[in-house]
This record gives sequence, C-alpha cells and structure tokens, in this order.
Amino acid sequence: MTANEVVERIKKNLGMPWNEKSYRDTFKVGDPNTEVKGIATTFMATLDLIQRAQAAGLNFVITHEPTFWSDRDTVSELAADPIYKFKTDYCARNNMAIWRYHDHIHSRPPDLIWVGLARALGWQDRQTAGSRNRFTFPQTTLGALAADIQRRMNIRALRVVGDPHAKVSSAAVGMGFGMPRVTPDADVVIGGENPEAGGQFDDTEYILDAAYFGRNKGQIILGHAISEEPGMEDCANWLRTFVSEVPIRFIRSGEPFWSPKA
Amino acid sequence: MELSRRRFAQAAGTAALAGRRLAGQQTPLTAQQVIDRVQKNVGVPWNPDSLDRIKAGDATAAVTGIAITAMATMDVLSRAAKEKANLVITLEPSFFGVTDAPLADDPVYAAKLEFIRQNGMVIWRFGYHWRARKPDPFATGLARTLSWTKYQIDDDVSRYDLPGVTIGALVDDLARRLNARAGIRVVGDPQTRVRRVTLLPGSTPLAAMLKALPDCDVAIAGETREWESVEYAQDTVTSGQKKGLIMVGRVLSEEPGMNLCAEWLKTLVPEVPVRAVPAGDPYWRPTV
Repeated sequence: MTANEVVERIKKNLGMPWNEKSYRDTFKVGDPNTEVKGIATTFMATLDLIQRAQAAGLNFVITHEPTFWSDRDTVSELAADPIYKFKTDYCARNNMAIWRYHDHIHSRPPDLIWVGLARALGWQDRQTAGSRNRFTFPQTTLGALAADIQRRMNIRALRVVGDPHAKVSSAAVGMGFGMPRVTPDADVVIGGENPEAGGQFDDTEYILDAAYFGRNKGQIILGHAISEEPGMEDCANWLRTFVSEVPIRFIRSGEPFWSPKA
Repeated sequence: MELSRRRFAQAAGTAALAGRRLAGQQTPLTAQQVIDRVQKNVGVPWNPDSLDRIKAGDATAAVTGIAITAMATMDVLSRAAKEKANLVITLEPSFFGVTDAPLADDPVYAAKLEFIRQNGMVIWRFGYHWRARKPDPFATGLARTLSWTKYQIDDDVSRYDLPGVTIGALVDDLARRLNARAGIRVVGDPQTRVRRVTLLPGSTPLAAMLKALPDCDVAIAGETREWESVEYAQDTVTSGQKKGLIMVGRVLSEEPGMNLCAEWLKTLVPEVPVRAVPAGDPYWRPTV
C-alpha cells in the first residue's frame, strides 16, 4: 500500500468534497508512492517524532501541524539551513513520507481535534446546548479549575491569568492558535496559543483589568500542542476503520516546553 | 557713558526676555508638549499614520508626572495615579486590541475609561517609534537588566558571550532578575552548557529565529509561535546541537526596554518626575 493510496482512501471516506485548494493538506516529505510499512498520526512532525516513528517501524507520518516550521512549509529559503538538511536527510535515508492533515480534520464533522480536546478536558457532557464551544460546570474557583486541567492534561507550562479565587462556572474554549474572545456569558476563556498583546482582541490584558475590577474572569492558556494533540488519537482510530493493511499508531510529539517552578 | 547706558538697556531687555521665558516655563507642561518633545528627539522620522497616538485623555492636560510601561493595565494605572503620574506612556495597546478601538457596552472598558477620566490621565502609546530607534533599546535594556552589557559582542546589542552557564541556571537567573511568575517557557536540556546568547525581545517571527539560532547557543525571546520557532528549536536540539530557546513572555521581555525609555525621558523632560511602572508577568500556574 502506498502513502498516496492511504490519502486517497481518506478522501473517499471523508464524506465531503476534498478542497483541492488546501495548501496545508499535502505531502511535505517523501514520494507519494512510498510503500507504507505503518502509519503514525501525531500533532507535529518534529525530528524527534519522526525518529520515534521510524524506530517503531512506521514510515508514514500523518501530522496535524507543519514539518518545516511554517504554516505553508515554505522551504525555498531553507536550502542552506543545517537543521533542514539534517531533517530531510534523515527522512530520505529512512524512506519516510510525511503528509499534513489539518484543514479537513477540522472541517469534517465532527471535528476530531475538537472531540479530542473535549475528552482530554473531561468535558464531553458539559457542552452548553446549541453552542459548540461553550461549557458549563459546577461552580469552582479559577485556581481549582486550572489545577484540575493541569492534572488531567499533564501540562508543564500551563499559564493562567486572573484571580485564582474568582468563582467560575462557564467557559468558552478554543483550540490551536485560537483563543475565544471574552464575552459576558463566559467566565473563563481557554485556548491553545495566542499573541500576548497587540492582537485583534487581547484577552490577557482584558482579564487582568476585569480581575482588577473584581469581576470573575479568567484565561487559561493550554499550549497549542496540548490543545490539539489528543484529537490525533481520534484520527488514528478513524483511520483504522478503513485502513487495515498496515499498523496505525498515535504517537505523541508532546508538549515542547518545560517551565521553571513558578 | 552713552555706551554703557545702551549696554544697560540691552541687558535689561535681555533680562525682561528671560523673565518672560521663565514665566512661560511656569505655565503647566501639557501632554502634547511632552509628545512634541519626544517626537523631535527620538531620532526616528515620525510616522503620523502609526498607532503611536493618544488613546485616552486630553492632550492639553497639565502633566504632573510621567509613568512609562510596556502595558497600561489597570494595575499600572492605579500605581501611576498613586504617584501622581498622569501621563502614561505605553508600548502595547491599553484597550484590549491592536487599534485600541472603543468597546460598546463593555463594563471593563467603561470602568477603565472612567478611572482615566477621574484621575485626569492621558494615555499615549509610544511603541513603533521607540522600537525603531537604533541601537535597539529593547535588547539594550534587557541586557542591562540582566547585567550582561559587559559581555556584548562588538557593536551588536542583541548578542552576548556569557561565561559558560547551564540553561537551567540561566533560566533561574532570568526568572529572578525579571520577576517572572509562570511566563517562562523553555526548549532544551537544562543541563546544556551555553555561552553565546541572542536577545530577541518582543514577538519574534520565524525568519529572525532562522537567522539567530544557528549563530548562538541560546536565543532569549519574548514570544514565538509553537509551529514555527518552537519546532525549529526542538529540531535543532534533536539534531544533536547543544542549544536552547527561552521565551520569557512578550511583556516581560519588553519591560527593560521601557525602563530605558524612562531613563531617556528623564533627560528630555526635567520639569516633572518620570518613572518606570512595570506591568509584570501576567501569568501564574497552580502548584500541584
């Protein structure tokens, strides 16, 4: 079975038209006709992840995020970069193929990345009726909520804004490079990654000021990988429903950071 | 006699002129006068289309003191007000977004604006032009806060050769000197020994990291994106290079550059007290 045959089968089982204009969901490394020994699904095709997939006998990596450090995997300026050379040489030597699966996993309902995040938070049953990204839960404090999420998702570099004693009972959740905008009906905004300041809407400064005025508001920044990695396990499970010829495994690329004791 | 009388008349005239000038100086210094002085002296051509504008308050307000910060949060404004500093100069936006646009029916926005009004404050954003100043005041200021100025390489304020240190010890030192809480995030082995550092305060695009990291042992940034510089740093480390990336947070990385701005402004505006009022690390983390 070739890598391209796996991709064609994904397109066939998607249940919706393939967007040929997607620059993201394309091959990034290797020949599409590479014979697949096994498939690794992951959040990001880091060099470390590629090496671990190779060691596990899996030479086709399906990654949610880029391989070469930019959304478009632009490599035209990278020819002289020693890390680019190291990574591409490693892949060539080990007959690896890498394909990105981003736009369509999000657009095909249910968005499996979203399914994975809700499960990792333990919030599958807490979704507000009629709203995809709103959740309600028994009243707790921002500090206790953040500690619970930190434990459940095993996060090293979690970052929280707001008064730890603020009483909260609702949240708006985003994933990846997405942080919901603070609204009156959500006590807490939770997301993957966002600019700290100077964006279209700066939740961080807003929450700091809301806390100053004694309002029960909070922001919890999970990390991009932490928020989107769980869904790539759902991706592996989904692939197994129509690819049975080769082994399929979800391998964590993991949280990239450590953080000194706060 | 004739001559000396004329001289006397001249001298008296000069004294009268000087007296008028002195009287002029006693009229209050307005926010606009401070801004004009900054624009004239910053050493960067002023771009009237930039976002460096008054965001709240009256340009003609008399300035009682100046507070300089990376981000004019309510905490910063209240500390400034306590010190009778009513002109607040900020690097980042004050009203929760790049354009500082008014928020309709928002209680936090309304309360912040009301605090500014009640305290006769003027909020002026001064980011684009201070950032464009050469040499980069943000790298210069960060190095000074870290006591690294003596380690600077040639005339490049962003590069330093430290005595060898592990990434772990370096991170502890950064956390202490910058008063970090939970905002520091690190890629790389804490045991790795490093010497050559590149400072990239603020928000760092991939192109800058691709240029910096091959030429140093550790890059110290404000913030970078996880799918860009963070992955590049991870791959650099995995490839066997003894390197690292430390992100201290955007505001925390920029504050020393605004401290430098306060020092500069003291020389430019001697009439009123000028002080740096840092916003601090916005982040905390539960201890579990």
